[in-house]
Parts: sequence; structure tokens; C-alpha cells
Amino acid sequence: MALENTPAVHNMVVCTLCSCYPWAVLGLPPLWYKSAPYRSRAVAEPRAVLRDFGVELPPQTEIRVWDSTAELRYLVIPTRPEGTDGWNEDRLADLVTRDSMVGTGFPKRPYEAAK
Amino acid sequence: MNGAADMGGMHGFGPVQVEANEPVFHADWEKKAFALNIAIGVANIWNLDEFRFARESLPPPQYLNMSYYGLWVATLENMMLRYKMATPEELQEGRAREPVKKAKQPVTAAQVANMVRCGSPYERPAPAPAKFKVGDRVRARNIHPKTHTRLPRYVRGHTGEVVRIVGCHVFPDSNASKRTEDPHWLYTVRFEGRELWGPDSDPNVRIAIEAWEPYLEIA
Repeated sequence: MALENTPAVHNMVVCTLCSCYPWAVLGLPPLWYKSAPYRSRAVAEPRAVLRDFGVELPPQTEIRVWDSTAELRYLVIPTRPEGTDGWNEDRLADLVTRDSMVGTGFPKRPYEAAK
Repeated sequence: MNGAADMGGMHGFGPVQVEANEPVFHADWEKKAFALNIAIGVANIWNLDEFRFARESLPPPQYLNMSYYGLWVATLENMMLRYKMATPEELQEGRAREPVKKAKQPVTAAQVANMVRCGSPYERPAPAPAKFKVGDRVRARNIHPKTHTRLPRYVRGHTGEVVRIVGCHVFPDSNASKRTEDPHWLYTVRFEGRELWGPDSDPNVRIAIEAWEPYLEIA
């Protein structure tokens, strides 16, 4: 299930009960995804958890947390960075990071893209 | 069950620690533990929900002190004892004393790789029409079963809104305890952050879970 981020809504994914994660697309989850700090706090104080990742969202941005309690797996579609008008799919794909698809990071900015 | 695995909303674990290089495995034994667990899953001696129940049944001090794959191994050992695939002495010594029991079907490497990539489907034909529709206000039941459930503690007794009917899926509570699939409708239910965490919490947070029909009542 894909979750689209917009300037008004930020999605992030957790599995509070264990470690459900879209293996088929993202591979096995990193240790932090399976760890007690992430699992315990992502649903209760997501804005503070995002700060642990260096992600600061304006208070008016709605955060939607998706707790993967069943066999459905979630993937975040990050907001398209500014300054990418006219970029083709390959160039845009290079900006997408693993964390941006879990919802704990932003995509790379255009100047960070591999040349 | 209200075990250590059901962590949503707990305090005291500190900040999220991100590893610099993020190794997928931290030791060779972790690779074996991962592969072995998936292979035994393919052999279908027990089902995934039984395995999850066994993992969350580890005593909380043990659960919270073990590494992720350490938990998998401890759970695997408990399941092997329960299903009489090994004796405590064999696990202690690390070698088989009894003739090795064979799975009904041989497990191939390709099947294991496929299980890692695709998992196993949990959707089933519906035995009855769905009771709830999108937009319905529903309350997560205040239940505390001592057996496996995937209704996290932090939503119990709280009211949310059905935002999607996912389909009809194997009911983990029955599958773990009785080995019966007992399929039920599965819904995505969204809760306001303040409904779960009180008036002092962030007003711009919403939390969604997947909930099977027996977890819910009309609000």
C-alpha cells in the first residue's frame, strides 16, 4: 500500500508489535526499525521521533502513522523535491532514499543527487 | 497477550539509535538464524502466528534483553521443544541424539528465497458480508486475551474511523491458538492522536492500525 506525502501530510510506518516491513521492496529492516525506542514512540510522539532522524516538520503538518499490525505492508511516496521540474524517472529515483520510503527521512535534494 | 512485544506508547527506551553503516546482519549466526526460521516456515510445521505468539510469550525480562535474532533463536528452540523436534538435552549439546525427524515435504532453497520475497498470502474467501463500512465510527474492544492478538493495547477502548476495507484475512488470534484460519474481515481504522494520547498530546497526529472485525464494535 503506497502512502503519498504532501506538504500538508507526512506519513510514517512502524510495526509496534514486532518488525513487519516491506521486505520485497526495501529488503530487511534496519536495526532501529525493530528496536524498542522506535516501536514504543513512533505512535505516541512521532514528531519527536522524526527529530531523532534530523527531520523537523512544521507543527501544522499532519503526521499519519501507520502501524503494520496485519499482513498489509506500507511504503511512503515522498514529496517531490523542488527544483526537479522536467527530471525523468531515473533522475528522480536517485533522490529517493530508504528512510524516505519508511517516512523517517526526506528524499535527497537535487544538488545531492549523483551526477 | 499483554506481553513485552506490544510496545506502542511505552516510555523509557530512550532515543532512536541509527547505526552508521547499518549492517543487515551483525554476525554469521544471525544469517543462519534468519534462514533457518524462514526454511522452517516453508516446511509448514507450525504457522507464522504460532511463531509470533511463541516469540511474544518469552518472559518480558528475557524479551527486552535479547537481540532481534536472539529472540528468533530462543523462539525457535521453544517451538522445537513443543513440537518434539528436539529434546532439551539435544539443544544443550547442539547435536541430535534421536533420529532426525523429516518434514513431510522437502524444502528447497528456491522456496525459501520465494518466501523471503513474497511471504505467504493471508487473504481468504469471505464467509459473510463485511459488518462495517468506510466512514463508520468503531471502538476497539477492551479485550485482554492471554493468547495471541494483533490488537495493540494502546488502541483498546478507543474510538476511530474505518478508512479502508482491506479484505478477508486469516484471523491470527485463531490461527495462533487453535491452528484454524477462521478468516474475518480486516479494516484499516484511523484514530485521532488525542483520542489515544490525551488532550496534552500533538493535535496533528493520526494513527492507523489494521483491525480484524472481532476486534471492533460500532461506536
